[in-house]
Amino acid sequence: MSDQKFSSVERIKEQSDGLRGSLKQSLENDVTGALYEDDQSLIKFHGLYQQDDRDRREERSQKKLEALYSFMIRLRLPGGLLTSQQWLGLHDIAGKNSTGVIKITTRQTVQLHGIFKSRIKPTISAFNTLHLDSIAACGDVNRNVICSAHPGVSPVHTEIFAFAEKISEMALPKTNAYYEIWLDEKQIADSKTKEEDPLYQNRYLPRKFKIAIAIPPDNDVDVFGNDLGLIAIIENNELIGFNIAAGGGLSTTHGNPSTYARLATTLGFVSGEESIIKAVYEIITIQRDYGNRSDRKQARLKYTIDKMGADIFKTELEKRCGFKLKPAKEFKFITRTDHFGWEKDHSGKWHYTLFVENGRVLDEGDFKLTTALYEIAKTGKVNFRFTCNQNLVLADIQEKDKKEIEKLLKGYGVISYTDNATPSRKNAIACVAFPTCPLALAEAQRYLPALLTKIELLLKQNDLSKEAIHIRMTGCPNGCGRSYLAEIGFIGTAYGRYNLQLGGDTLGLRLNRLYKENLDEAAILEELDMLFKKYKQERKAGEAFGDFTLRTVLS
Amino acid sequence: MLRELKLALLTELVKDATPEELIWINGYVSGLNSTKENISETPAVPASAIKITIAYGTETGNSKKLAQVFAAKAKKHNVQAKVVGLDQYRLNDLEKENYFLLVLSTHGDGEPPVAAKKFYDHIHSHEGSLSKLKYSVLALGDSAYPLFCKAGEDADQRLSKLGGQRIAQVQKCDTDFEADSEIWFEQVLQSLTGNQLVAQPAVTSQQIKKSAGKSIFTGKIIANINLNDRGSSKQTHHIEIAVPEFSYQPGDAIGVVPVNSKHIVKHIFDLLPVHPDLVFFHNDRSIAAFDLLQEKFNITCLHERVVSRYATLTGHDIPAVKMHLADLLSIYPLENLLQFEELLEILEPITPRLYSIASSSVAHEGEVHLTVAKDKYTVGEKLRYGLCSDYLSSFNEGDTFEFYLHKNNQFRLPREDKDVIMIGPGTGIAPFRSFLAERDATGATGRNWLFFGDQHFTTDFLYQSELQNWMATGVLTNLSLAFSRDQDEKIYVQHKLEQQSAQLTDWIKNGAYMYVCGARRMSEDVEQTLAAVVGEKVLHDLKENGRYLKDVY
Repeated sequence: MSDQKFSSVERIKEQSDGLRGSLKQSLENDVTGALYEDDQSLIKFHGLYQQDDRDRREERSQKKLEALYSFMIRLRLPGGLLTSQQWLGLHDIAGKNSTGVIKITTRQTVQLHGIFKSRIKPTISAFNTLHLDSIAACGDVNRNVICSAHPGVSPVHTEIFAFAEKISEMALPKTNAYYEIWLDEKQIADSKTKEEDPLYQNRYLPRKFKIAIAIPPDNDVDVFGNDLGLIAIIENNELIGFNIAAGGGLSTTHGNPSTYARLATTLGFVSGEESIIKAVYEIITIQRDYGNRSDRKQARLKYTIDKMGADIFKTELEKRCGFKLKPAKEFKFITRTDHFGWEKDHSGKWHYTLFVENGRVLDEGDFKLTTALYEIAKTGKVNFRFTCNQNLVLADIQEKDKKEIEKLLKGYGVISYTDNATPSRKNAIACVAFPTCPLALAEAQRYLPALLTKIELLLKQNDLSKEAIHIRMTGCPNGCGRSYLAEIGFIGTAYGRYNLQLGGDTLGLRLNRLYKENLDEAAILEELDMLFKKYKQERKAGEAFGDFTLRTVLS
Repeated sequence: MLRELKLALLTELVKDATPEELIWINGYVSGLNSTKENISETPAVPASAIKITIAYGTETGNSKKLAQVFAAKAKKHNVQAKVVGLDQYRLNDLEKENYFLLVLSTHGDGEPPVAAKKFYDHIHSHEGSLSKLKYSVLALGDSAYPLFCKAGEDADQRLSKLGGQRIAQVQKCDTDFEADSEIWFEQVLQSLTGNQLVAQPAVTSQQIKKSAGKSIFTGKIIANINLNDRGSSKQTHHIEIAVPEFSYQPGDAIGVVPVNSKHIVKHIFDLLPVHPDLVFFHNDRSIAAFDLLQEKFNITCLHERVVSRYATLTGHDIPAVKMHLADLLSIYPLENLLQFEELLEILEPITPRLYSIASSSVAHEGEVHLTVAKDKYTVGEKLRYGLCSDYLSSFNEGDTFEFYLHKNNQFRLPREDKDVIMIGPGTGIAPFRSFLAERDATGATGRNWLFFGDQHFTTDFLYQSELQNWMATGVLTNLSLAFSRDQDEKIYVQHKLEQQSAQLTDWIKNGAYMYVCGARRMSEDVEQTLAAVVGEKVLHDLKENGRYLKDVY
C-alpha cells in the first residue's frame, strides 16, 4: 500500500516523534484555548480529548470569541479500581480544574470534563502524585483494560483482576512523551533507543483497541463487544485459563453500509500467564500489521478479521505465538446486571453497589452523591470500583466497618436512591453526547433520564415495572453506550431523533437490529407503548423483552 | 490735522506751483514719508531680539497645531519662537523664561492633558518667584463641560500668583477655536512688539465668521454585541453604527452626548414635588420638566461641588461625595417647586463622552464601530451604571443617535512600512482594531504587535477571533496577552513588556512606533516599565520623535 493512501492520522502518528508532536508549543500558545490541529489527534494518546461546548458555539462566535475549548481527561484504570485516598484526590482535582462532575464511563474508568488548556498540566501533575495516569486512555492504542467489577463474582477475582493490570502495562506505548510534556521530565539523551517500541513501532494501531476480561457468570463487561475478549475459565475455584475471542466492536456510521456492529469471534482457549499475555500481544501485532490504515471506518480489528477470515487470522496468531490454541471451554453467563446493594464475597468482605445514573457523580438537589462519596472516602475504609454499567461498588469493606459505611450511605440517601430506582433505570446506559462530544448527533446522558421517566410510566401502565429491560442510548452510531447490545437501543441520528433498535438479549450475546428509523419522542413512546402492550399479552413465561421482540415484531 | 503754522507754510509752498512742481512735491513727500515711517515706528526693543517660548499641552493635537501656527506667524514678524511640548518641557527653565506662551487644553472634569500633568502639578506645588516671566495662556476646551477651560484658567492664575506678568488676558476657546485663538495671538503680538505690526486689519471675533461648531452626524445602530462571555464581571459592547458620508481616520474618536434613561427620570419624579409635564423655559425654549431632566442634566453622578450646592439649597448637612440625584432626593427631599427651580440652577449639563473609533473607514465602509465598556459601580448597596456607556450599550438595532467627530492628530498611524507596537488592554484595544483593520485593508507592509490584557482569557478576550485571523494572515506579527485573574498572581500588559524586552528593543531599533491606549493608571505603569526595559533615554527619544503616542482616559 502506498503512503499516499494512508489516512492523515497515520502521517501524524508517524511524524509525532513518539507522540510528542508540537504539544509543548500548543500548550504555550496563549492566543487560543485549542491545540494545533495535529496535536488534537496526538493528545488522545495521552488520555485527553479536545472538545468544545457545542451549546455555546453560536453565541461565542457572535461575541467574536473562539469556541469554548476545553479538554476531557480519562484515566487509565485497569479493572476500574481506586483507593479511598485516590478518590479524595480525584474529588479535589475535579473541583479545582474541571466542571466538578466525575463521570464513570462505560469502560470502567472515570473522566473529567471542562479542563481548560492552562489547567491540563496541573491536573495531570496532581493525578501523578496519586499514582494515576491517563496514558493511552484514548487514541489508536490499547485502551483501558476492563474486567468484571464485583469481587464477589468469584473467589479468584483478585487473580483475574491482576491480568487487567498486566495486559495494560504490556500494551503501554514505550515513549516517555507523557512525562516530558505534562510532568516536565527532561528528555532522556538516548531516548531513541530506550523508547524503541516493538509492539507499536512508530505506527501505533490503525484504530482504537479494546480489551475486556469477563468472569462468568457475569458479563457486565459485554465481553463480545470488545476487540479482544478474555473469558475466565474457572474450574474448582481455580483459574485455569481464558477463552480468547477477537473482533468485537460496536461502532457504525450512518449511511455507510460497509460499517457494522460485530460480536467477537471465539478463537480458542489459552492457559498459563505467559501464553495468555503472548496471545494478547500477538493479536495486537496482527491488527497493527494487517489493519486498514487508509480508511479509519474500516480499521477496527473486526474488519481485519472479516477480511482475512477468522481461520486465517487464527493460523497467523498461532504462527506468531509459536503455540496452538486449544479448543474453547464451556462457560455460562447468567447476568450482566450489577450486584446492587450489599453483598459479601468469599473472603468475608462486604461490597455495596450503588446506582449512579449515567455514571455522573454530582450533588444535584437533595441527592448529594459527591458529598456522600467524599465523606465515605474520608473513612479510608473502602475501595472504589467502577462497573461497565457506569455504577460504583464501594468495595472491600471489613465486617467491622460495614455499619459505619452503611450509616453514611443511609444518611446521604444513597441506599434509598439505589433501592427506589426501577430495574430498567438501573440497567440503563447513556454516553456523554452533547454538549462536549464532537461526534454527537443527538442528546444522550442529558436526555435519557427524562425519557426513562416516560418509559417507566408506560411500563407501569402495562404492569411491567418489575422487568429489568436493558435500555441504552448513544448520541451517534459509534457505540460508546453499547446500544447495539441492548434490548431497547436508541441511536441518535439528528437532534431529537433516534433509530430504535430491538431484539438484543439480556446477556450481551446477541446484537439488536434496526426496528424503526429517525423517531422523535412522541413516536418512540407510541412504539414502545404498543410493544409493551403486546409483550404483556403475548410473552412466553420468563421470556425477556429482547427475546420477545426478536420472536415477534422482528421476524 | 496739521498744526496751523505748518499748514500755512504748505499752503504757501503749493499756491503758485506748476503741475510738474506739484508732481515732484508729491513724490518727494511720499519718499519722505516712507523713510519717516521706518524711523518713528521702530519699537524700543527691536522685534528680532524678542525670544518667545510657545509651550503646548495637548491630548488630541489641537494645541500643538496652534502652537506651530503661532510660531510660524511670530517668525514672520521677526519674533524668535521656540515650540515645546509640556511633556518635554524642563520645569527648571520656567524661571529663566522671558516670554512664555502657554496653549493648554482641558479634559474631563477640568483636568489638563496627560502630557501636561507634570507641568500643571509643578506650578501648583511650587512656590517661588517668576518675576522675569511675561506670559499669556490660551485655554482650549469644550463648553459642553461644566468646567470649561478650567486647566488653562488654573494655569493662568497660578503663573500670576508665582509672580508672572500677563501680557494678554487668558483666552478661552470652544471647540471652534480658530477665530478666538487668532484674536489672542494678535493681542500677544501687539503687546510683545509694542504696537500694531500686522499688515491685516486687526480682527475681532465679530468680524471672523464663527464656524458653525461641531458637525453633528446621525448614526443608525446595526449591531450591538456584548463581547464578554457569560460569567464575566465585565460588559464590553461592540457597537456598529451605519453613517453615510462620515470620514475619519484611525485614531479619531467620536463624541456622544447621552440622555438619561427614562426609568431613572421616572423614579426621580416620584421623589420630586413637581409634575413631569410642567413646562420650563430652558436655553430660550420651553421644555417639559421630564425632558429637561432626561436630556439636559447630569443626574446620575453629581459632582461633589453640586452636592455641596444642594446642601446649601436645602439647608442640610450633606457630606460632599459624588451622588446619584435619586439618592440625594430620597434622603434630603425637596420641599416645593421653588426649590426645584433652584435645583435646575445648580445641576450641571450632561457632558459629551469620547469613544475611540474601533473601525477603519477603508475596511468598514460607511460604518463606525465602538468598543464601549459598561461602567458599573455601587453606591452603598445599589448597582449603578455610567451614564453614557449605559446609554450606548442599551441601543437596539435600528436605533439612531447623534454624535460628532473628534479628530485626534496626536494618534496617527505612521508610514505604511513602519512597524507598530500597540499597547491596549481592555477597551484600549479600540483604536488598535481600527489600526489593524486599516493596515490589513490597505496592505501596509509594516509589522504589527499588539499587547492586550483583561481579566480572564475565556470570557474577556475582546475581538479574539478577529485577532486570531490577523495572526493567521500575518497582519498581526505578535500578540502578547496578559489575563490578570487567570492565576494567583496578577499579570498585566507591563509584565508582558518586561518579558519581551529583547524583541521590543529590536523593534524599536528598527524604527517601530509605540502606541498606548486605555486607562491613565495603566499608561503610567506601562511607561514606568518601558523606561526600565528600554531605558529612559530611548523612551525620551521616542517621545521627542513622535514615536511614543498615547490616547488615555
